[in-house]
Amino acid sequence: MRKLQLFVFLLLLNVAAMAQTKQVTGTVTDSKTGTPLASVTVRVKGKNVLSVADANGNFTIAMPAGSTTLEFDYIGYAAKEVEVPEGTSTLSVTMDQSANNATPEVVVTALGISKEARKLGYATTTVSGDQMNKARETNVALSLEGQVAGLNVHGTNGGPGGSARILLRGISSLGGGGTPLFVINGVPMDNSQRGSAGEWGGSDNGDGIGNLNPDDIESMTVLKGLSASALYGARAANGVILITTKSGKKGKMTVDYNANYVVDQAINNTDFQYVYGQGTGGTKPATASASLATARFAWGAKMDGSSFTGWNGQAATYSPYKDNIKDFYRLGPSFTNTVSVSGGSESGNYRLSLSNLDNNAIVQNSGLTRRTVDLSIDQKVTSKLDITVSANYIDQQDKNPPQLSDGPGNPNNGLFLAPNIIEKTLAPGYDPTTGHEVVFSDDNYVTNPYFVVNQWINDVDRKRLISSISAKYNFNSWIYLMGRMGYDHQNDRYLGITPTGTDYSYNSAGQSGSINLSNVQTSELNLDAILGITHKLTNDINLDATLGANARRNQSESIGISGGPFVVPYLYTPYNVVSYGRSYGYNKREVHSGFYSLDFTYKNLLTLSTTGRYDAYSTLYYSEIPKSQRNLFTPSVSGSFLFGELLKSSVLNYGKLRASFAQTSGEGSPYQTAVYYNVGNSINGVPTGSFNSTLPNLFLKPFTLSEFEVGAELKFYNSRLGVDVSYFNRKSKNEIMNATISPATGYTGSVIANGSIQNKGFEILLTGVPVRTRNFTWNTSLNITTLKNEVLKTDAADNNLSLGTYRPLNANTAFVVGMAGPQIMAHDYTYDSKGNIVVDGSGLPIQGDLKPFGSVLPTLYGGFKNDFTYKNFDLSILIDYNFGNKILSATKYYALYRGLDKETLVGRDNGIKVDGVYQDGSANTTTVSAEAYYQRLASISKVNVLNGDYIKLRQITLGYTINPKMPVFSGIQVSLVARNLVTLMKHSDNIDPENGFSSLVNYAGIEGTSLPSVRSFGINVNFKFKN
Amino acid sequence: MKKIIINISLFSALLIAGCTKNFDDINTDPTKASASNFDPNLLLPSGELGYLSATTGYSGPILFQSMWVQTFASAIYPGYYSNGDKYVFGGSYLSYQQSTWNNAYNAASYLYEVQNLTKDKPELSNLSGIALIVELLNIEAVTDTYGDCPFSQALQAKAGITAPVYDAQQDVYNSMLSKLDSVISTLDASKATPTNDALPYKGDIAKWKKFGYSLMLRMAMRLTKADAATAKQYAEKAYAGGTFASNDDNAYILYDLSDGFTNSNTNALKTTEDYSEVKWGKALIDYLKSTDDPRLSVIAEVPQTGTTNAANQSLAGNSDPSVQVGMPNGYDQNGGSTDISKEPNYPGVAAADPAISGDKPNVTGKYSRPKTALYLSQNAPAFILTYAQTEFLLAEAAARGWNVGATATQHYANAIAASLQTYSTYNSTGNISASTATAYAASHPLDVSSMEASLKQINTEYWVLESTIFDFSEAWSNWRRSGYPVLTPVNYTGNFSNATIPRRQAYPTGEASTNPANYKAAVSGLSNGDTYTSRVWWDK
Repeated sequence: MRKLQLFVFLLLLNVAAMAQTKQVTGTVTDSKTGTPLASVTVRVKGKNVLSVADANGNFTIAMPAGSTTLEFDYIGYAAKEVEVPEGTSTLSVTMDQSANNATPEVVVTALGISKEARKLGYATTTVSGDQMNKARETNVALSLEGQVAGLNVHGTNGGPGGSARILLRGISSLGGGGTPLFVINGVPMDNSQRGSAGEWGGSDNGDGIGNLNPDDIESMTVLKGLSASALYGARAANGVILITTKSGKKGKMTVDYNANYVVDQAINNTDFQYVYGQGTGGTKPATASASLATARFAWGAKMDGSSFTGWNGQAATYSPYKDNIKDFYRLGPSFTNTVSVSGGSESGNYRLSLSNLDNNAIVQNSGLTRRTVDLSIDQKVTSKLDITVSANYIDQQDKNPPQLSDGPGNPNNGLFLAPNIIEKTLAPGYDPTTGHEVVFSDDNYVTNPYFVVNQWINDVDRKRLISSISAKYNFNSWIYLMGRMGYDHQNDRYLGITPTGTDYSYNSAGQSGSINLSNVQTSELNLDAILGITHKLTNDINLDATLGANARRNQSESIGISGGPFVVPYLYTPYNVVSYGRSYGYNKREVHSGFYSLDFTYKNLLTLSTTGRYDAYSTLYYSEIPKSQRNLFTPSVSGSFLFGELLKSSVLNYGKLRASFAQTSGEGSPYQTAVYYNVGNSINGVPTGSFNSTLPNLFLKPFTLSEFEVGAELKFYNSRLGVDVSYFNRKSKNEIMNATISPATGYTGSVIANGSIQNKGFEILLTGVPVRTRNFTWNTSLNITTLKNEVLKTDAADNNLSLGTYRPLNANTAFVVGMAGPQIMAHDYTYDSKGNIVVDGSGLPIQGDLKPFGSVLPTLYGGFKNDFTYKNFDLSILIDYNFGNKILSATKYYALYRGLDKETLVGRDNGIKVDGVYQDGSANTTTVSAEAYYQRLASISKVNVLNGDYIKLRQITLGYTINPKMPVFSGIQVSLVARNLVTLMKHSDNIDPENGFSSLVNYAGIEGTSLPSVRSFGINVNFKFKN
Repeated sequence: MKKIIINISLFSALLIAGCTKNFDDINTDPTKASASNFDPNLLLPSGELGYLSATTGYSGPILFQSMWVQTFASAIYPGYYSNGDKYVFGGSYLSYQQSTWNNAYNAASYLYEVQNLTKDKPELSNLSGIALIVELLNIEAVTDTYGDCPFSQALQAKAGITAPVYDAQQDVYNSMLSKLDSVISTLDASKATPTNDALPYKGDIAKWKKFGYSLMLRMAMRLTKADAATAKQYAEKAYAGGTFASNDDNAYILYDLSDGFTNSNTNALKTTEDYSEVKWGKALIDYLKSTDDPRLSVIAEVPQTGTTNAANQSLAGNSDPSVQVGMPNGYDQNGGSTDISKEPNYPGVAAADPAISGDKPNVTGKYSRPKTALYLSQNAPAFILTYAQTEFLLAEAAARGWNVGATATQHYANAIAASLQTYSTYNSTGNISASTATAYAASHPLDVSSMEASLKQINTEYWVLESTIFDFSEAWSNWRRSGYPVLTPVNYTGNFSNATIPRRQAYPTGEASTNPANYKAAVSGLSNGDTYTSRVWWDK
């Protein structure tokens, strides 16, 4: 309420300020042709007061008292400042067409080197921090969803600390995991996924990019093509996203305060049947034990409101209850406060920001707190030596990221309760006197959700420092030498407690629970030396050359202790256990590389670039591996042609063609080249041993990725309409990856080096400014990506490579040669030669062969964004879409198996006679119960493969900018934000098509028993302080 | 100046890129041993323990086979015991289905690796030989459970075979028997013995020889239905070689909770639901009652009244033989026609204990459960092969007229006496004195009125022994081979075996995707496809 008052007050002030102005009107024309220029932006210098010229070049602007200068800005023309003399209220302004001399758009490219956008021979897209920090996601990467052509981003349903799956132009490599390399201020940062759920459960403990505070991000630039990222070598295989953090600007010290408040709300995607209640065999449970055993089975009688003994032995009513999701999941507010101080002078600049995020997840007792400090200093030590230091310290505590997918410790088990059960009756989940978990179903490995939220502990704490220091020495105006050190260090602590009272953990002595405590230190060190030369070879030809070397070292060490059950109940320390275990892990790798890049520019029309990189990977070294296959040189070449400059067309004001070819190489993981043996615990004094169940490979060599890309960028009608199209074709070869192999081979996995995959497609970005008037502007952009993926080779024998599966275990995803990956492999019916469904003697269909049923990755996706500004208001609406992918749904399986799916209403009363034949070919005559039929149907897993298409209203922000004439503030901006508002189209029953428990590519498109997806609403307020 | 800078840069670039001398070291895992410094002895106990992972606990045997052979029963539906009790899928059945395969091959891989690592070390020939014997034990577990399986090409991923062919079970058995035959003869007490043996043999070569021949006997007798000639040949060879001579030769592993090794059968049965739900089967208790077997009061107890007492694992039940009641399979507590209260011999509800406030009547509280004091220690032994077993097998061989020394009657008497004395390995609760045992054996001699009568008695007693030492896989396999005891299958709605007792487990689902061609070829040879009703070769 107080905030509202302040808001109104400031509004009034603003209106009052408006009164003390003078109206200035005028016309803007082209200096040569005299043509009026429409849509020129007119701005009062130093103020945020602006206006736009109309179709006849006429403008009106209110100049605040004391202001004397107007700025005119128009694409394709040189910016102009005009003094407005005292007493003058009409102006005639001319502007010079100056496409060549206008300040060129600059993008940060590989290694942090800025280049003119128009000279690039490859596609890039930059997203400014503003687009990510208002309607924010806890993981900033999720804000890129739908914003960039070619980029496909999905989170997990694993809570606020969850990770993001970011695929650039699809999965470019089989084993790469997909995620692009994130480079922050020129230094690669670790984006490893720590902990994720599989078919046997687990929690999503987040990734590296999710640690960053959106307020500190100036921009993110997506380098899409391989040639764009070739200088990063191996790790750029999946593309590169460059993050530039905010830095100080020349001028007075400014203080900025940003407050963001967002509330998450669970979305109920289910549409279950509420006709039949719990039970089996069509009957309402008659006893307490039957009621308990059937708490998750809706094969009972028609719910008639009668009373019966419920699952807990208490009297209950046999009638539907639909509010379990609403009851169980709370509203989850997040509050972020960021203060920053920045400033600068001729000799340098600085920025320091402090931020605090307090998040509460929709699951009780779960949430995230994150404190960050970001410092950047850029100092000219002498006229030739420039030193920059940046440091980003993160202290993040992820409290109880929930267990997903499987039953134990998973708070989301309430989803599959029979439709008459009120989930609240499961609370508090334990017996108040004994502390023993109250088991609510037939399976005590499916933990009582209230017991989970009240008792289970899963804490993930991280302290991280991402730092870099660089020194750049400019020998003269055209040659410099730069040295840079980047260091990214993470200290993670995990504490998992299966609490006292957990039913399945009891031993015969009545002891229960277990503890798992571990500490992981991970670091990455990068040392770079770069020599840069800019030289005019002739009057028309310019050369930019870079020569450099990089040494990278990654290291990680983990120490863990575990034990159980607890001797003294509720005392959760590693000392207080009956038996304990320990774990230790260590790995280290180094890469030494040398690289160059040469850019030749002819008359600003043609640019030809070539890069090369030579890599030596420690992971490919082992005494038995031939020296010749350990190291590799990979080149790239790209060119751009600004043909628009030659056309001088009045319609086409910018035209560029670009083409590139690039190759990069990649490596495997450490220690994949030799067999190692472990010593295990002793049994009765006899030590045991084992070896890794993944077979190593002595024939590893660097794998390669090659990409060919062509594109065109066209701007029409003074850039009111723009088209940017790319075609890319990327292929990998000799990929190193883990394949699942039959345990009969002696191993369950093997490192193979034969993989090959191809991705080709188009990226199209259409931009337009349909309306641009004095007070109102409408910007629109549509991005479209089409993708055709094909697995060309898997292992030597082209066997299917199994990836992930879901808890029902009757289907999985796999790389299948000749098909798009990852394919869902599911069981079909068994058919006879005539195509009839074959049933067994009981009249139930028989599970047939495992067949491919489509890829889990989309073939068409993108976003449609519309930005409107009206006076001081701005409105932004983002819609994104995704087509062509399939989902393997455990929810569907359970909904069928447990009788929750609406589909299971058919045949309840009279049973089902399958239209099929017996194994001997005669027609089926047996009628089976709906229960038996749908439980069998669920095992014919193709029925659990759903269509993943969707269109979503992803984000709306509505902002208002106040320019108060008052002390303290120099600007205030208020935005109302909303994310994931409405699903406009989907075809997947009972789930959000984006649902998933893991962001790993192996588990892409597999869902089940995770958090509901959330819709969020909030407000962002930004204050700029005067000084 | 320009040249100098370029030279410096080039030099530094080459230095960084070129300095890879220590890369071999960096890429060597410092936390682990390599083939050159690893002691292959360490893998033997892992292979031994692995066999028990494949044949005990939730790895399938207790949830599937223990109830298929009606050792146990559970009147709950739905639930994970419905796989066993009612042949209706429940719980994570696909994971139970694949556990034996995965665990046994994993164990076999350790043992195969022992043989690889000792190839050039003739001084370790005993270790290598014993490793092969235990490997064959594991392969037997696989083939008995699933049928045709990789063997000749199995375990050789390191040699590049990642999609091994499935060998016909007949070939697997012939190969296992001949390998056993040749390897046992290489065992040499004068050479180094294995230093890490988790069995009570502690590497004793004489005992391992006996184990080898005892295993040969068991494998041979598995073939009586399918290939009696081979069965006879190897049963006689095994006897001549020397099988177990007393319970002191029994092969088992004693678990060690303090080091994190626990008995998986115990772990399953002590789980709250299992503890109140898993009962001795009617067929077993009825049989023990009919023979006045002294084991009845050793292995069974009826819990104290009410549900609270029955769930209390420190409260002993009533072991009086006269009150013991076995539970029939195929019932539930859902109020319908298959409600346990409707079974013909339902003993009634165990009333709530009035001394405990809020206690509830226990619907299944009058049925016998495995005696807690005997079985439910996490340090309990798990049996691999026993003297009583080999004597039963020899009794059958003798009954078939094969040359195995003593008469069927004598071998049978040995077997019965040894059976009764097996339980003392658990703890003193299981003690049955030698005199009681021999007296019982003497008073319950083998029925030699016909070979069929002998086979019935021998194999029924074999089933009693294997059931009550929780070697469910063996009880199930021997039942499939011998047909004894005669069991009545359950017919519960939605069952996966056409209301017959399952005769094999379906292959792990992963095989269809990891080894598709060979998997398909193997399935094409199964009469009913990859189902629980198809039969393995020796069960034709």
